[in-house]
Amino acid sequence: MENIYTPDKNDFEFISGRDIEVDKNFSSQGYWKGVAVHFFRNRFAVTGLILVGVVITFAVFAPVFSSYTYEEIVSINDGGREVIAKSLSPQFSGDGSQNLFADKTFIFGTDDLGRDLWTRTWQGARVSLIIAFVAIFIDMLIGTSYGLISGFFGGNVDNIMQRFIEIASSIPTLVIISILAIFMEKGIGLVIASLLITEWIGMSKIARAECLKLREREYVLASRTLGAGSFHIIFKQILPNTIGPMITQVMFSIPVAIFTEAFLSFVGVGIVLPQCSLGSLIEAGFNNITILPYQILSPIAVLAILMLGFNLIGDGLREALAPKLENM
Amino acid sequence: MKKLLMLALFIFASLTMTACGGGGDSGEKKLNVMLGSNVVSLDTAQATDLVSFNVISDCIDGLMQLDAQGKAIPAIAESFDVSEDGKTYTFHLRDAKWANGDAVTANDFVFAWRRHCKVSDKYSYVFGSTVACVKNADAVIKGGDEKTLGVSAPDEKTLVVELDAPVSFFPSLMCFPAFYPINENFYNNLDAGTYGTSPETFLSNGAFMLTNYLPGSVNIQLEKNSSYWDAGRIALEKFQYQVVSSSDNALTAFKNGTLDVAQISGNQVEQVKADEKLSGDLKIIPTSLLNYMSFNQDPKNHHAGALSNTNLRLAISNAIDRESLAENYAMGGARATYTAVPIDFAPNVNTGKYFSEDQKQFADVVAFDVGKARSFLEDAKAELGKDNFELNLIYSNDSGDTVVKVVQAIKSQVEKNLPGVTINLQPMPKAEYLNNVTSNNYDLAVTNWSPDYDDPMSFLTLWTTEGSEIAEHWSNAEYDSLIEACTTGDLAGKYDERWDAMLQAEKILLDNAVIAPLYTSSRSMLISDKVEGIEFHSIAVEQVLKSVTMK
Amino acid sequence: MKKYIAKRILMSLLTLFLIIFVLFLLIRIMPGDPFSVERMSAEMILQKREELGLNKPVLVQFVDYLKLLASGSFGNGTALYNGAPIKPILMKCLETSFKIGGLSIIFGSVVGLLIGIVAALNRGKFLDGLCTVVSILGVCIPSYVFMIFLQYSFAHKIPFFPYFFDPSQYLFSSIMPALSLSLFSISTIARFTRNEMVEVMNSDYVKLAEAKGLYGFQLIRTHVLRNALIPIVTVIAPLVVDLLTGAMVIEKIYGISGAGKLMVDAISGQGIDYNYVLALGIVFSSMYIAVMLLLDILYGIIDPRIRLTTKEG
Repeated sequence: MENIYTPDKNDFEFISGRDIEVDKNFSSQGYWKGVAVHFFRNRFAVTGLILVGVVITFAVFAPVFSSYTYEEIVSINDGGREVIAKSLSPQFSGDGSQNLFADKTFIFGTDDLGRDLWTRTWQGARVSLIIAFVAIFIDMLIGTSYGLISGFFGGNVDNIMQRFIEIASSIPTLVIISILAIFMEKGIGLVIASLLITEWIGMSKIARAECLKLREREYVLASRTLGAGSFHIIFKQILPNTIGPMITQVMFSIPVAIFTEAFLSFVGVGIVLPQCSLGSLIEAGFNNITILPYQILSPIAVLAILMLGFNLIGDGLREALAPKLENM
Repeated sequence: MKKLLMLALFIFASLTMTACGGGGDSGEKKLNVMLGSNVVSLDTAQATDLVSFNVISDCIDGLMQLDAQGKAIPAIAESFDVSEDGKTYTFHLRDAKWANGDAVTANDFVFAWRRHCKVSDKYSYVFGSTVACVKNADAVIKGGDEKTLGVSAPDEKTLVVELDAPVSFFPSLMCFPAFYPINENFYNNLDAGTYGTSPETFLSNGAFMLTNYLPGSVNIQLEKNSSYWDAGRIALEKFQYQVVSSSDNALTAFKNGTLDVAQISGNQVEQVKADEKLSGDLKIIPTSLLNYMSFNQDPKNHHAGALSNTNLRLAISNAIDRESLAENYAMGGARATYTAVPIDFAPNVNTGKYFSEDQKQFADVVAFDVGKARSFLEDAKAELGKDNFELNLIYSNDSGDTVVKVVQAIKSQVEKNLPGVTINLQPMPKAEYLNNVTSNNYDLAVTNWSPDYDDPMSFLTLWTTEGSEIAEHWSNAEYDSLIEACTTGDLAGKYDERWDAMLQAEKILLDNAVIAPLYTSSRSMLISDKVEGIEFHSIAVEQVLKSVTMK
Repeated sequence: MKKYIAKRILMSLLTLFLIIFVLFLLIRIMPGDPFSVERMSAEMILQKREELGLNKPVLVQFVDYLKLLASGSFGNGTALYNGAPIKPILMKCLETSFKIGGLSIIFGSVVGLLIGIVAALNRGKFLDGLCTVVSILGVCIPSYVFMIFLQYSFAHKIPFFPYFFDPSQYLFSSIMPALSLSLFSISTIARFTRNEMVEVMNSDYVKLAEAKGLYGFQLIRTHVLRNALIPIVTVIAPLVVDLLTGAMVIEKIYGISGAGKLMVDAISGQGIDYNYVLALGIVFSSMYIAVMLLLDILYGIIDPRIRLTTKEG
């Protein structure tokens, strides 16, 4: 037993860098980062994002860089007679079109007043998007506050507020719009007002459901014991945790808003000419659908792409926020 | 679940079966005529639009009717006598029957006319001193005793009408639906407000009767009235009206044979002309529908009354390229118009020339001349001490897309040719539009007027101080006295002097640019070659189907 | 159970009453007169107001209106169709809309369910993707665009269906409008059905049933579908009302005299007709409330938990 080897310090060497953190601790992943990862892993959602992005880019920049304004009637002077570029099918300069405007480019053609449809379509998309964003943003403010307050206080407050919602949602949208139309001037204002009155209900329902779930959480109790007031808890503690579902709801509400706008313009209480929105362009194109089908095609296509995009984003967000559905 | 599936299958099966059944039995072909908009009312005291007049005149005959050439010929009246002074008309009625078997009596006219003056707030003026001059009509319309109205029935078959002044076009006026009869007994047996709301509550004495109708319905069916006094002339057994609001729908429906008679928009006319099959069916029917722009000249109007300045009005009127409006936007045979009375309307009985034959007669005030327009504008700016004018242009957007295009073109032309003038377009439904123009809530209005009778006065009375429909708030004593002389005054019986006075009045009107005439419309009709004998008129009743035959 | 139903009915009636009151108030506080004042002197306007009872206090007017409703009438129009009684016209229009709407609901739920089930059973496979595309398309394309397309292809290019709605071939000419109307409900129901089915199929009791040896159609029928269907009914119910009101543009395109067209006429025809707007509002609201009531009672019967929670609350 005399040969017992006693290790001395030369037998050891410090390992540098690599192995020292054997017990690797994954840094905790932030909630939103997780959502983002889930979201971007979803091919459909990314497609939706790209579609919406493309439309928004065009809506913002196309009217700016176009050689015509959206209300400009394109015409040239042909030997003292003014000739208007009306009802031209899509053409590019120098593609051999046999008309007086052969040197001009009309990517989507022109309408029957001689205005460039490319500019008008994107201007229309811009107006539709602005209406949708404004209306839905205000709806989110109203709906969320209403739902949170209703859900947080519960009891009689909740009862009365829910009764009000029941009444508000029982009156058909069309009736509300008709009543609005009686005393409001037609135009963007009326469209936004009707969206405000009808769309916040869905938001408030979701906010209330979330609030009912969250108000029993320990952190709310803790906050309360520390003396926080109700409104501090609602807006500082609960609100931030309802953002996810609310954004999802927004993504589904925006297409509804664009749709409603299109519908209102189609019926004739929407946008005032010569302004345009996707709905009013579709309405104008409808009058020539069989003889000049390209006039209705471009606004419908942009509308459909927007719808598709927002719906895909909404679906993707919902799945990303509620990973339980992920394995579906 | 199985049940659910069975149910689904059953539904599909039954649907497809009905589909086959339904598709097969179209059977006998009936005439299908398009209407451009809803029938407003079948009550002659309420109807104001040409569409309603069409349907009413299919079902009810008045004292007179229009023949194929647009001349007034007797209908329910077999003949009539005029007194020496031209102020008393005696109509001798023929043996005509209502569809329920009652005889059409003079009393039915007396009842209808009195009722019209009493209840109508829309068209009762045609009885009054600006048009028919029926005795005491103005007083009755203002709420007087309807028994004092100058119409009486000495016996069942004689109708005597007393006038305040001789009215040369009185017989042709009798074709106008406001003067049609209503069966008094039938009317009195109905619940209040239900007259003319269904086939059961509407009694016809004319060529056809309703078989399917409901207020606002888009499908109206009619069949021949076998008790019609002239039943032998009616070849058409059954037909239907289909309300089609989109002209594109109308064109397609005509192409596939759903519609036999369709009205299309100017836009489509070019396409149709290029189509070999369709071009033969196309008929451009000139009308006397004058489209014009009204200027609200009330100095108290909400834009500080800028339009009460004549130079500003002249500037706008001269900045509009009417040829381009007619050719590029109204299209379909529209004719640029530079007079207050439309083109090809009201021929002079002596010379045969139309009242507005010479379109250049007011060229110094109504023309397209940017230079002149701008100098008018400079004058206006100096006089008003303002450099910018923002004006609201209102128009009704529920009567087709033509006016929608025209107003946009006007906006574009005026803003381009007159720097400093801005036009805001305000579309609205017809009713709201009328409300705004009558309640002084507008600056500019694009409107149209279709004559009720074959005389320039049908237009010229619009702009008197008491004028109707749209208030331009323009008042001119000379104009008023000229019009009065021509209607009830000393010129009423003198044809040539009256004619000259009317031309003089028109000159005053246009020198002051009270309105800016734009264009006279045409109707572009597609008529299937299976259909023959539709008569089109530019006054009173637009189209008459009495002589239609089907091949 | 009876007590639950009675309570629900009572609540619904109260809601309906409140709605009528709110609608009435809204319409009465509108500026302007509910009749055309064209060519009317101040005296005539006053007289007309007297006639229509507009000079009375609003509450008295409201009681009068309730009496009118109780007598089974909606009164007369104020502007539309020269003040003819509303009821017969409204009934006729509703009948048309109901028939087309009913057809489209049947179509929408049957096809929607089928697509949803097929998608759920083929989860992640090609068929699932196809069904997703179809259901998303339904949300992306406005129903009237689809109607235009149908009319152009199957009534014009292939002249199988009548080009306009033909009352003499009721069911046959209802097919195209019903189809286009159902597009939205097809996609909503299909998406919802798929998600519900998938969730149920992942649940423990279905796994247990599978472990016990159940498979295929039997499993779906007895365990999956029944449980998935309950929430689906919630989606269908509001769609019913939406369909009936949302047909406005389609009615315009296809020439149908239905409730949607009546509504458009009431707000843009010969003047805004307050009484028609009121009558239509009441009819649609009561329909919505009735559907919701029916749903609640159904739930109460199917799922005792709901009944109990409501009692507590």
